[in-house]
Amino acid sequence: MTGDGTFALAALLLHALAFLVLAVVAPLRRLGRPAAWFSILCAAGSLVSALLAWQRHAGDAMSRLVWEWLPAQGQTLATVGVLADAESTIMLTLVALVACLVQVYSLGYLSDEPAPSLGRYYAYQSLFAFSMMGLVLAPNFVQLFICWELVGLCSYLLIGFWYYKPEAARAAVKAFWITKAGDVGLLIGIVLLWRQSGTFDLTEMRVLVDNGALPLAGLSLITFCIYLGAVGKSAQFPLHVWLPDAMEGPTPVSALIHAATMVTAGVYLLLRTEWLFALTPDVLLIVAWVGAFTALLAASLACAQDDIKRVLAYSTVSQLGYMMTAIGAGFAAAGFFHLLTHGLFKALLFLGAGAVIHAVHGNDLPQMGGLARRMPQTTVVFLVGTLSLAGIPLFGGFLSKEEILGAVWAGGLTGPFVLLMMVAFLTAFYMFRVVFLAFFGTPPARDTHPHDPPMTMALPLWILAALSLGVGIYFAVAGPALPFGPAEHEFTSPDWLMPAAVGAAVGGILLAWLTYQRRAIDAATLASALGPIRHAALRRFWMDDLFEGVYGLGLLGFSRLIGWIDRYLVDGVLNVVSAWTVTSGDDLRTMQTGRAQDYVYGVALGLMILLLWVRWALA
Amino acid sequence: MTFDSGMPLVVELALFALAVVVLLMGIAGRPYLWQGPRSGPVGVAGGGPAGKAIGWVALGGLVAIFGLTFLATEGGSVLRGSFVQDSLAIFAKRLFIASAALSVLGSLTLPHASFSRRAGEYHFALIASLLGMSVLASARELVLLFVAFELMSIPLFLLTGFLKREAVAPEAALKFFLVGTASSAVIVYGMSFVYGVTGSTTLDAIPAAMIGGHPLMRLGMALLLAGLGFKIAAFPFHMWAPDTYEAASTPFVAWLSVAPKAAGFIAIIRLFVEGVGSAALVWMPAIAVLAGMTIVMGNLMAIPQQNIKRLLAYSGIAHIGYMLVGLAALSSSGVAMMLFYLVAYMFGNMGAFLVVEVVARSEQSDGIDAYRGLAQRSPLLALVMLIFLLSLGGIPFVAGFWAKLYVFWAAIERGLYGLVFLGAVLTVVALYYYLLVARRMYIEAPVRRDPVPVPGLLRAAIIVCVLGVVGMGIYPGPWVAMAMRVAATLF
Repeated sequence: MTGDGTFALAALLLHALAFLVLAVVAPLRRLGRPAAWFSILCAAGSLVSALLAWQRHAGDAMSRLVWEWLPAQGQTLATVGVLADAESTIMLTLVALVACLVQVYSLGYLSDEPAPSLGRYYAYQSLFAFSMMGLVLAPNFVQLFICWELVGLCSYLLIGFWYYKPEAARAAVKAFWITKAGDVGLLIGIVLLWRQSGTFDLTEMRVLVDNGALPLAGLSLITFCIYLGAVGKSAQFPLHVWLPDAMEGPTPVSALIHAATMVTAGVYLLLRTEWLFALTPDVLLIVAWVGAFTALLAASLACAQDDIKRVLAYSTVSQLGYMMTAIGAGFAAAGFFHLLTHGLFKALLFLGAGAVIHAVHGNDLPQMGGLARRMPQTTVVFLVGTLSLAGIPLFGGFLSKEEILGAVWAGGLTGPFVLLMMVAFLTAFYMFRVVFLAFFGTPPARDTHPHDPPMTMALPLWILAALSLGVGIYFAVAGPALPFGPAEHEFTSPDWLMPAAVGAAVGGILLAWLTYQRRAIDAATLASALGPIRHAALRRFWMDDLFEGVYGLGLLGFSRLIGWIDRYLVDGVLNVVSAWTVTSGDDLRTMQTGRAQDYVYGVALGLMILLLWVRWALA
Repeated sequence: MTFDSGMPLVVELALFALAVVVLLMGIAGRPYLWQGPRSGPVGVAGGGPAGKAIGWVALGGLVAIFGLTFLATEGGSVLRGSFVQDSLAIFAKRLFIASAALSVLGSLTLPHASFSRRAGEYHFALIASLLGMSVLASARELVLLFVAFELMSIPLFLLTGFLKREAVAPEAALKFFLVGTASSAVIVYGMSFVYGVTGSTTLDAIPAAMIGGHPLMRLGMALLLAGLGFKIAAFPFHMWAPDTYEAASTPFVAWLSVAPKAAGFIAIIRLFVEGVGSAALVWMPAIAVLAGMTIVMGNLMAIPQQNIKRLLAYSGIAHIGYMLVGLAALSSSGVAMMLFYLVAYMFGNMGAFLVVEVVARSEQSDGIDAYRGLAQRSPLLALVMLIFLLSLGGIPFVAGFWAKLYVFWAAIERGLYGLVFLGAVLTVVALYYYLLVARRMYIEAPVRRDPVPVPGLLRAAIIVCVLGVVGMGIYPGPWVAMAMRVAATLF
């Protein structure tokens, strides 16, 4: 059965339209708010289109709208277009939804921003949504890679949106370079894969794989290279270090790009090429172990952060690790399910955190406290998000987390499973630490009169909260049947799994409650009990130091060496060559005497050359 | 004979009619021509609005004839096969007419009084030359080819020296004329040998004679290649180009730098490629050497130029070298990619020249220094110029990149590795001098701060060129398909 890709295409192009109009029509962009409304209007239209596209492709329907793009010697090297199926359209809907809500939310959040800079913000937002949708719908690796780089660019632009803040500028550059390191791997993987299969097209490649026509030799290297791209984008160990720093951008950006959509692109890439990775179980094993390790590392880091956005950032890294582990276990659909629910509740948490930051004018948890009374709405929605993330039954994240744990168990990966169970405990702990520290307890002495956010910010919060809860209740009623994808990955979870997971979460909540609410356990005692670990976590397990060391000593030293060679050897040679080129140009100029007879001599010279050639070569 | 828009000669007849109309309008605007000199003061009558009207008629006529080419049916021929309307001819005619229309669009607002006072002459000469090209594109007979060649060339000499009271124009026109005549002589000389061997003036006889490999045939073909080498301005036949470009009016140069060269290439394809098949391969080294020399010399001599028109003249010579690379492959894809290159070159080069005209009108200078700080004065104009320069330089996602890539690709298929390597290395040199202009625009501080005024008609012409360059750069597919289709009919 074939569906109709037009709606998916429309969803994509509406954001392109918004970006082009804002980019080209500078007067509109400089107006600020009208530009924002135009962009929001396009985003809303895009959301409707995406929903329609999803509805058309809910079953097994698949449609391809593809145009030939780069011709090469009678064949087509690359195409552009949309590949709409159940997976891509549901992802499209998530992107469209969060993008639309975040754009509305930003209107309130950035109300103090000067008009031209607000217009710039919305232009970037539109470009990001377009690129992300292009990535999601990409029918081939070329379009996927181009959009992949474009979302990276948008991420850079939006992290550094307040470019006059040195930390923001530094974080933007850091994010760009570290994800770029992974992108190099992805590019190499794509080109190698093209050499092996002769096509960039996902559908054609899938046919090759299904027919067993793809040579397996060297495929592990290829999938590993592709995985490297996902490591960078989805902040897997050891390239996770950029994501917490990316929180220097405006909070709505963190919600959209660094929680709900862009960082999940790596997971999505692996999902899209799941059939390829299935051929290389050794790489999948790496994916699973790295994913589980990342989840644990990031979760433990999250416990030691005092910046509310950084807690959420580490939690995102941790949850991405969760998804990766499920893919590594061979059950990509479970990872994708968690990606979707996580997109909803993590966006909710970030936007809620944004409301708090907006109200108290600061990110520091110790500066907050007792906000529940001042900001009841925000407290409720934040709690919904937290319970979802902790995996409490009836909330959004519960079933998807269960699915992942079940999948990893069913995949026979006991080690990663144990790590993930620990993460489940830690997740509940650090999230409720935030809740108790920020919303309950005693307010700080400095009173700033925080209050609930304005309508433009509250509405997206309530929509996301309702969706997080709605999804949880829907699946509790309808059972854990995944609403997309082939049903071939059925597995049965052991009976003890659900009580164990819920128990871990409740344990985490309890510990947080005892520590930060009842103060039955002194936080300092707990900290000293975990002394070395806590110390290590505060130093971010020295990962950033390591990178800085590698960068400072290794890379910069290497660069200096190369720089010296470049300056004195390569440049020397080049300078000589280029000077010689320039002088030869100067000398040759004298050939142009300006006398007509010399020009005729030129004709005669050329004729002589040709005639001599005829005489000697053709004789 | 009833009118049939699909008949082979329809484009030529329309051009002829347009030329006559323009000429008559020009005469009508200058009553002393038929009433005697006393009827009015010389040099005043018929200026201004009448001159504009002639320009608009010429432009409208050209646009209409461009549309007419889409009604022409392929495959017709008249005069016992001497004149054919095949897909190559139609492709070439569209290129000629489109570039002529862009040039007329650019020259409508030329400030010099002569252009409005003698608008009839200017546009008549231009359309007559265009008619020559148009016949040339269809000619499959030596005599017709030569007549068309002269019909194309002689008005070009006139147009170069159009501003006859300026110091440099007559000199440049005379040089152009002298070298052009010498080249025409070489062509006729070559034709006489070809006729002597084949005993026929039709091009149909050439393939068999080339396969026969008679020495006099080779001599004749070498002479033809040399003569046509002048028209396309390949090294060392290029010397007329910089002087001519510098002296003539810029919108005309924009056309001169594209259409006659394209006509020369069409003639080379007719003589050396069409129907010849693998027998043409003996000419591959000669064309490759010509290509290599042209690329090297064009690029090197462009470096020291301080006048943007001379710079573009030399860079244009280098581009001819790259097109010769495609031709040297003497394969279907090579010719196709050369045709693609021609279209890309038309948009990029004409666009650059039109920007040159805009800047020259504001700054009264063709020096590269006139571009200082253009990005601060007129950011959009600077950006557009940068796009043209990048396209000429061959940067990805503008037309010129694909053109170079495809030409190289075709040459690689034939094993011309050395030539492709040479071409690729000299692309770097080309970028150097293109970016020298970009540096003036973007890095150096402006002397004046006021924006450069862009006349509306020139703006329209430049927009067409930008759309062409960017469109071909982002979505080259249809253009490549068209070029492949045209080239496929030749083999």
